[in-house]
Amino acid sequence: MADQQTNFPNEKKINLKITTPRGVKFVEKADMLIMRCVDGDLGVLPGHAPVSAVLGDGILHIFNDGVEKQLAVFGGIAQIESKNVDIFSTIAQHPEEIDLERARADREKAEAAMQEEAEELQIQNTQVLLRRSLVRIEVSSHLEEADYYDDGGNEDEDN
Amino acid sequence: MSSMRDIKQRITNISSVEQIIKAMDMVASTKLLKARAQLDGVRPIYHELKRITEELGNNSNAKSHIFYKEHEVRNSLYIVLTSDRGLSGSYNANIMAKALEHMEQGKNEKLIVVGSKGKEYFKKKNKNIIHAVTDVNDTQVYYSSEKVAKWLIDVYLSGEVDEVFIAYTHFKTVLSSVPIVEKLLPLATNPAKETDYSNKNYEPDICTFIDNVVPLYLHMNLFRAYSESHTSEQAARMVNMDAAGKNASDLIEELNHMYNRKRQADITQELSEIVGSVNVLNKGGRNES
Repeated sequence: MADQQTNFPNEKKINLKITTPRGVKFVEKADMLIMRCVDGDLGVLPGHAPVSAVLGDGILHIFNDGVEKQLAVFGGIAQIESKNVDIFSTIAQHPEEIDLERARADREKAEAAMQEEAEELQIQNTQVLLRRSLVRIEVSSHLEEADYYDDGGNEDEDN
Repeated sequence: MSSMRDIKQRITNISSVEQIIKAMDMVASTKLLKARAQLDGVRPIYHELKRITEELGNNSNAKSHIFYKEHEVRNSLYIVLTSDRGLSGSYNANIMAKALEHMEQGKNEKLIVVGSKGKEYFKKKNKNIIHAVTDVNDTQVYYSSEKVAKWLIDVYLSGEVDEVFIAYTHFKTVLSSVPIVEKLLPLATNPAKETDYSNKNYEPDICTFIDNVVPLYLHMNLFRAYSESHTSEQAARMVNMDAAGKNASDLIEELNHMYNRKRQADITQELSEIVGSVNVLNKGGRNES
């Protein structure tokens, strides 16, 4: 990554753009991004090789000037080029947009449903609900204590 | 000629209709504002995803994928977006005529109809409606379009249909919207930009990428078409209600003239009757005295 970065001496930031069905949601410059793909986390630094990735349900970490921001992003795709990262997702939430009470309720509901026997489709739905509620809870707790960070032991897949 | 009371009655009737028209006009214009905001939100993601899927089609691995592969067409699926409510002028008639004209070209067609107006119309035409979506709350449109996108993928993947068209009303401005029939599946490719997509990486791999991006694209496409149609509907209703309101006030004015003229005539007639009878009486009296 280090020598790739030197290819762009003038501009070492990534232009991040997140587009949702409600319009262009988020435009910002960033030093580094870590996004959750379907098969693990993907870290992106400026000068990344062009990749199109499928995103899973997870947290998008945005590092800029030593400050970390977190967004909850559920599904969608990312188009990565050397300077630009375009994310298209149906849901992308800021920590302050998350209804923590609802997320906690969702989690309890999902955990309760997990205990019961159900059909395959229902189990999948419950899992999605649980996963999303956990991500929401984690993102909004990041708002409360800024240095909280836990990547859940997933490996980074830089390339 | 109708009596004064009849005219008065008509004026009252038309005034109350005018009030309803004005209320509908106002509702339509607020709904139009909301619909436009939603449409403006969804257009960027739709255009970007459309570009991505079209570029993806140039990749040699993608060409053989079921979403891109052209095959012999026996059955086509049409998704027709109409409205649930009337009083929107020629809005529904336009889109249904356009869809019907497109179906003339041929093959066995199956329909997914959105909106009760379209459902009734195509039922009368004895079309094969496999799904009908009616009475969708404005806030539920997003989920409803997701559901339709899933149906559409299911019937396409099961081989029941070989191509999919969507008929919707494209919103240009408040005064002009155009009915359009577009091909959804198999996906179009964009041969003009056939460049260096071969060295591009896909994470985890291109098939998974296509499997994920295409449903997202179709969902966004449907949601956008839904929004386009909904915005056009509200705009059409607003314009029509404007015109109807104008007609109503014109009519009221005309009836008022008529009423006044009638009243005048009645007064004049009464006066001349009185004067005439007074004359007769006066003459008779003088003669007697």
